[in-house]
Amino acid sequence: MADQSKIGMEFPLCSIVVEKNKIAEFAAAIAQQEDTACIKPLYREKQAAENAGYVNIPVPPTFSGCFVHWTGGGLLSITQALHADMSKLLHSEEEYEYFSPVCAGDVITRKIKVVDMYERGKKGKKGWHAQVTVLETELINQKGELVIRARTTFVEK
Amino acid sequence: MLIRYDTLQIGDAMPIYTSAPITRTHLVRYAGASGDFNPLHHDDSFAKTIGMNNVIAHGMLIMGIAGEAITAWIDNKYLRKFSVHFLSMTEPVNLNDYENTKDRATIIVSGRISKKYEENGEKRIHCDIVAQDALGSRKLSGFFIAALP
Repeated sequence: MADQSKIGMEFPLCSIVVEKNKIAEFAAAIAQQEDTACIKPLYREKQAAENAGYVNIPVPPTFSGCFVHWTGGGLLSITQALHADMSKLLHSEEEYEYFSPVCAGDVITRKIKVVDMYERGKKGKKGWHAQVTVLETELINQKGELVIRARTTFVEK
Repeated sequence: MLIRYDTLQIGDAMPIYTSAPITRTHLVRYAGASGDFNPLHHDDSFAKTIGMNNVIAHGMLIMGIAGEAITAWIDNKYLRKFSVHFLSMTEPVNLNDYENTKDRATIIVSGRISKKYEENGEKRIHCDIVAQDALGSRKLSGFFIAALP
């Protein structure tokens, strides 16, 4: 069971370069395409991105998880630090606020904080009682601008 | 495909988006792309240790598909917020029993504009969305906010 004394805990900052080929790979995955040649030109050609008003190839709207999974030991290191049991965790909510586009070549620093932890429902009632954990991830680019704020809610049954 | 604020009305539907039936290969591809290697999403033997018959899709793959539905209609750069609650799990299609399992693995995304308003000097729409499988089971519900020209 997650430890409520962890509210307010911040995880070490991690930075990662947004790579063009990673964007194409992610875009292919969510479009269920077998080949990155089949994805939208916006996600594979700089010229198409420029024509659409971006400085470089943009990331899809749900790409932000990559900044958590591919840095600092990923989600496992976070759940371990919170003493949460990964096999009992369910992802229950996800929210993004977008402030500025994230594009290939950007260097993104992720700042993860535990913003809430609480118990939901009554103990002993199967399937209803759960520990809720809310993480907030701020993504900051190489210019120091907050580009995306994500809120992720997990429940541990 | 430029969508203008003035041409949209409250109650307007976004174009319906239908995914391909999700296969285990799609799950592996999403795991590799996202970095989420929770074995619950690719290893049936692990799923059985926690009492489940099959692997299940990443909730974030379903949200990613919903994002594809949105950005097929409205360009990424106009998005200001995208928020979902996950409602139920999605099992992939079994290729040895395709006809009986394809509907549970097919995601249909729909949405409807519920508000139009000005905020931060921008003209914004609030669109409620839902993703369900072809059997009608809801996978996620939520909304997005976009600022339009």
